Amino acid sequence: MALLELTKCALAALAAAAIIGTASAQGVVGDQPDAPVTQSEIDAAVSGTGATEIADPWEGFNRKMFSAHLFLDGNLLVPAAKAYRATTPKAGRRGIRRFLANIKAPGIFVNDILQGEFGRAGETFGRFLVNTTIGAGGFADPAAQIGIPSHGEDFGQTLAVWGVDSGPFMFLPLVGPTTARDGFGKIVQIGMDPLFYVRTPPADIARYARAGVGGVSAREQFLDPLAEIEEKSLDYYASLRSFYAQSRKREIANGVVDYGDLPDIGEFEEFDELN
Amino acid sequence: MKSTLAATGRLAIALIAGVMTALAPARADKAAEAFMAGVLAEANVLFDAPDKAARDAGIEALVDKYVDMDRVARFALGQYARQASESQLSVYRPLFRKYATSVYQATLDEYTGENLEVVDSIDRTERDIIVNSKVVGAKPGSQYADLVVHWRIYRDADGGHRVVDAGASGVWLAIEQQSTFKSVIANNGGGAAGIDALIADLKAKVGE
Repeated sequence: MALLELTKCALAALAAAAIIGTASAQGVVGDQPDAPVTQSEIDAAVSGTGATEIADPWEGFNRKMFSAHLFLDGNLLVPAAKAYRATTPKAGRRGIRRFLANIKAPGIFVNDILQGEFGRAGETFGRFLVNTTIGAGGFADPAAQIGIPSHGEDFGQTLAVWGVDSGPFMFLPLVGPTTARDGFGKIVQIGMDPLFYVRTPPADIARYARAGVGGVSAREQFLDPLAEIEEKSLDYYASLRSFYAQSRKREIANGVVDYGDLPDIGEFEEFDELN
Repeated sequence: MKSTLAATGRLAIALIAGVMTALAPARADKAAEAFMAGVLAEANVLFDAPDKAARDAGIEALVDKYVDMDRVARFALGQYARQASESQLSVYRPLFRKYATSVYQATLDEYTGENLEVVDSIDRTERDIIVNSKVVGAKPGSQYADLVVHWRIYRDADGGHRVVDAGASGVWLAIEQQSTFKSVIANNGGGAAGIDALIADLKAKVGE
């Protein structure tokens, strides 16, 4: 075991030295505006720790947007979501949720392919086929019963897989927490939607209806969790930012939890000396 | 030319990271799993209790017994832990204990009527272990189907285990608390003034 640790450290040190050596020799480190290999990146790769936080240089502006969001959310979305919950039985809400998830499938399929995840693309395709045909147009979910798991994908995640950094944190009213990359991804995602290109009045109505119902349906699912977070939080904005950063990381990794990326428990170690 | 070098550098980093992951010890840790199984056995009894007050009292007892609250409280301050004075810390620790207990009570309330069981564990280091648990009997397609509840265990020098963090599907409570506390301190001037503001916020939140 000790030998393994030693080999690991030696390998890491050699590799790091090689990169820094090469980079410095070519004058790359530290003086390029376009993606230089920085010391902190090397440290992160070697030590296995990464940030579970997103940089928030626009915090002042974001907090103002957050206040606007809370106002709009509290006066528009939450009453609509509560009314939706009161008027629609649980089975009905579940059916609508499944229908909305099903019509997202083509977009998810495109992103699976773009990420090179052909197995997951197959699952998406299978789910769409089964649920649209024997699943009453998507209101039921027989695909889950026969064991095809569901997953989500969006263009922001595709960009992340392609290596695009998240960029600064942004809070957009009614959209919620996002980052520069993921916000851009949402815009591109609109362009991936086939309905976007059909410019007839019925299609327009369908688009707005989908946006409206989709927004209310999503908000209804999060009424209780968000209320609980707000009640317990000392700083609702900061809590949402942290939860978003952590869950987004997991989404991008397709559910594979990275245990190496946690803040070092060595931070706790200083306590040992006191006992 | 320079961007090719940057790309090569990035490729090298990816290779190193890949090698590190391959060589990293990821043994299961039977002792920590056994510890957590004991904790969950007591918790599952509480989840089956019909009365919220009894559940909350039970969770508070479990938290006092098994969670290393001093360690978590210190972690939640992040880099500001070094700047806090003794008098501030003596006020902060009991407040944090009340606050964290209420968060655990609210979070674990969701598992009323369900039972959790240990499934596996990962050693991050000799003394830092993650034990994973899942809901017993989760049906495919239900909200519990893919849910993993993680517990971060710290093993001290004598081999005793304490819980230092809990999370679900990659989202951790103490990490979020640290992020939020750091934000409150920084937005109130940092240093002693920021920590006093945090203490005031905590007092307001736990209702003192």
